[in-house]
Parts: sequence; C-alpha cells; structure tokens
Amino acid sequence: MGVPDASGDLSSEMEVDAFRRLFPLRYFERHLSESVRPDARPLGRARDTTLALGAVASAHGSALAKIGSTTMLAAIKMEVMTPSTESPDEGCIAIDFHMPPICSPIVRPGRPAEAAPVISKQLSDTISSSGMINLKELSLVSGKAAWIAYLDIYCLDADGALFDAALLSAVAAFSHLQIPIVSLNDDGKIVVILEEDDGTKLEKEPVNREKRKLTLSSIPFSLTCILHKNYILADPTAEEESIMETLVTVGLDSSSRLVSFYKPGGPVLAYTSAVQDCVALTRQRVKELQEILDEAISGMEID
Amino acid sequence: MASKGAAPSTYTPTPTKKTRPPIFSDSDVDWLRPDGRGFHQCRPAFFRTGAVNSAAGSAYAEFGNTKVIVSVFGPRESKKAMMYSDVGRLNCNVSYTTFATPVRGQGSDNKEFSSMLHKALEGAIMLETFPKTTVDVFALVLESGGSDLPVVISCASLALADAGIMMYDLVAGVSVSCLGRNLIIDPILEEETFQDGSLIITCMPSRYEVTQLTISGEWSTAKLNEAMELCLDACSKLAKIMRSCLKEAASASQD
Repeated sequence: MGVPDASGDLSSEMEVDAFRRLFPLRYFERHLSESVRPDARPLGRARDTTLALGAVASAHGSALAKIGSTTMLAAIKMEVMTPSTESPDEGCIAIDFHMPPICSPIVRPGRPAEAAPVISKQLSDTISSSGMINLKELSLVSGKAAWIAYLDIYCLDADGALFDAALLSAVAAFSHLQIPIVSLNDDGKIVVILEEDDGTKLEKEPVNREKRKLTLSSIPFSLTCILHKNYILADPTAEEESIMETLVTVGLDSSSRLVSFYKPGGPVLAYTSAVQDCVALTRQRVKELQEILDEAISGMEID
Repeated sequence: MASKGAAPSTYTPTPTKKTRPPIFSDSDVDWLRPDGRGFHQCRPAFFRTGAVNSAAGSAYAEFGNTKVIVSVFGPRESKKAMMYSDVGRLNCNVSYTTFATPVRGQGSDNKEFSSMLHKALEGAIMLETFPKTTVDVFALVLESGGSDLPVVISCASLALADAGIMMYDLVAGVSVSCLGRNLIIDPILEEETFQDGSLIITCMPSRYEVTQLTISGEWSTAKLNEAMELCLDACSKLAKIMRSCLKEAASASQD
C-alpha cells in the first residue's frame, strides 16, 4: 500500500495526514525506501543546531542549545563545600536534568518523566568519564574548601534526541563558566570579592585570581541514531522515536575517542556493522558540533 | 550567610559587604531606580508566541531580567479520577528553575503562584466551550527578576490565545510597589525586597474588568487609589503590546 496520490485538493491532503496517524510505521517505511524522511532530511543528517552562550544572567555559566525543535537550557551555579577526606584537593560536579511540564504533553506536574533520571545519570557518566573537567581545578583551599558546580539542565521543548541536546548545552555551559573571584575571611569562610572593589583596597588576597576559567581538555559530543531494519536514522524527532524504538547513542570526544555507548534495549539487535556505521555518523557529527561550539565561544569573545 | 540552624553542607559565597546602602531613605524623592527607570515607567516588554513546538500553544515573555515560558496543552481528556463536569477545567502550574533566583533553589518558595495564576485566568476563559475536558497551563520561570507573577499571568493569557482557547479578552497583569512615599511600577527583585506594600492587578482591559486584585503590606487609601489608576492604565498599554504580538504571529503564518 502506498501513500495516496497527492493531487493537491484538500481531501487527499487529509488522507495523507490520516494515513500518517493510522499507519505511522508504514508511513515512515514508505519514506525510508526513498531514502528520505518526512521532514525532508536524508537518513544520516542531523537537524539544524544552534547554540547561545550566557542566556541566564543569574548563573555563573549558561547556554541554550537547540537541535531542531528540541531546546535545552543549561546553567551552572558555583557553591562552596568542604571536600571529602578521600580527595581533599578536588571539587565536585552535581548534574541534574529536568523535564518540566512545559516541555512535552506527556509530562504532568507531580508525575516526573521516566526519561529524566536516566538522562541525568547518562550525562554525569559521560561528563565524568570523558575527563573533560579536572576536578583539581575546582579546589580552593586544600582540605578546607572547594567548588561544587551545580549544573542544572532544563528541557524547554522535547522533540527527540534529548541526550544529545542536553550534553551539548552542558559542555557549552562549562565553556562559558566564569568562576567568581573569592577570598578567605577571618572566620575561614569563602567570600566573594565584588568586581567594583577591584580599584580600592583589597583586605584579603584572592584565593583564585588566575583560575577563573576551567580548562576543558577533551569535550564529549554525542549522536543518537535509530536502528530500524537496515536503516540508520541520525538525530530522530520525538515522533520517530515513538514509532521506531531501537536507539543507539554514541558519545565521542573531540579527538574521536569513544566516551560512551548506550543501546537501551529495543526490538532491533545491533550488528557490528550497524554499530560501526553509527560511530562513523557520530564522528562526522562531532566535527559539526565542535565547529558550532567554537563559533559560539568566539562570538562571545568579540562582545 | 548560613547561620540559621544546622550549617548546610554547601553554601553560596556572599559578597564581603553584607549590607548594601539602602537604595532609598524615607524623605528622599530624587532617588534613582537601580535600572535607571522613572518611577512610573515599566520595563520594555517582549513577547513571542510559539516558543514550544510540542505544546498546543505557548508564549515566551521577557521583562528585563524576568524571563518566563508558558505552555498550554489541550483541551484534553481530564484525569480519570475527575468527576463529570459540564464545563471545561483549567489546570495551572507555575515552577521555577533552580537557577532562577540569586540563591539556588529559592524559587520553590512561591507555592501560591499556581493557584493565583488559576484564579487570574479562570474568569477570562470561556470554560463552557470545552466541556468534560481540561486545559493545562504550565509556566516555568527561567529567571526571576521581579514582578514574576504578573509576567506569568500576561504570558499565560497569550499562550492560551496562541492555543486557540476561547477567551473574553486577554488578561494583562501589572504590579506596583509602595516604597515610603513613592509608588513604583513594575518593580525589580531588589525593589520588591525593600517594598512596604505591593498591589497586583490583572484585568481584561477591553471589557474594563478586573480578574484579580492582590494587595499586601502597608497602604493609605489615597495611595491605593493612585496605584490602581496607575496599574489599570499600564494594563491596557500592556494588552496592546500583547495584541500586536498575536497579530504579528498571525500575519507571519499567513505569508
């Protein structure tokens, strides 16, 4: 059965729409056999991606990432903690991923989305195992005080490939992060030195004058693909994810080393060749994302 | 600083100067607002509809540093536990991001906003046009910069219009703070912490009907009258901006 002939009048238009709702899988397969997707993308192409740094003025670092309609807002707030005795000269990162009810019709207040804690965990794992951040750089006074970076990512619009967009916004927020200058007061507490005080007397020597930016060594990026029969669809939309349920998420760092790999079940079993194809697609995508990130950062420096 | 009760495990380092000079002392009139506005001058309002694609209708509002997104879902099936109802139901929820407030996670203090939003909108919506079903209005405050509730309410009525929900008129909300002898409109966060009294009006300007009026703090009758006049005038101007935003969106989608 094929798509009804679109002869232009309203009735056939309605039929296409009805066909899409009634037989979504066949509707998609008909497209895939022509090597195109309903939104006119080739199978391996990701959606348009934009990145804006510094979207939240009340945070120390923030970024807004958009992949197609999927929108993520990430912001980092720095707080001071006492480091644990096992690692006295290391700070720490606390990552939380939120899906507020505004982002999707599925999420209701008081009933959090199942996907949110999964993505939260995936993000912490990917960021910590990539070694992007040297936790020693977050130390202030060894054994006494260290930074804890609270990274909160909010999904503002959920339209598929949530992890990819969340990871992009997270790494962008870290590259935008500006650590406040602090000093130690008489009680042994860390206090912020206001920027406008710079010209006048400084009672206390700042603890971290040189360490206002983190050095991000190898930045991880990711690409989610759908496996369906022999097809591989990069960067799926929410509709595609709901119809074809086998997802593979590959995370690579900027030098193409494998950081993470997720295939959370699904009816399609991945063969080695499919996995290799996914990695190859991701390698291409990482180059694009790196360029988008570099462009956003250089755009900030001009301002 | 963290001195109340048990010391928390983490804290936000606060500036060395604990008390800033009061932005205003009782007798002084030639004081400037922190953002340089006149006392009766609102922040520039920015609205955009269609911020969230997966929602039936949505709007984004930005007043200075106050940034809000509202999504509207439905009319859709009411929860199973709900009783039968001839008229539609309105369900509202307001939440804050953890980074919305200067101190992390403070936004959840505003628990009453969900119900206030519900009550401000209820009177404007033609609930009988969607019997047995529910319209969900969800708001997320991305950044709190003062006058959050009126911004949320205005933004929500715009999102409802974007979703095609029938309303008698757009609902515009404006707040006024009383600081000593002065009335200041559309206060920012800093001014709200110093205010003696506050007044919020949400109204339907074309019908000249007030849907919600909230007064708190210390007021004299004369001040109150003046503040209400001020608010109503600002509401009608705000509604014009909201209307032009809707018109723009409609003409853009026609092209």
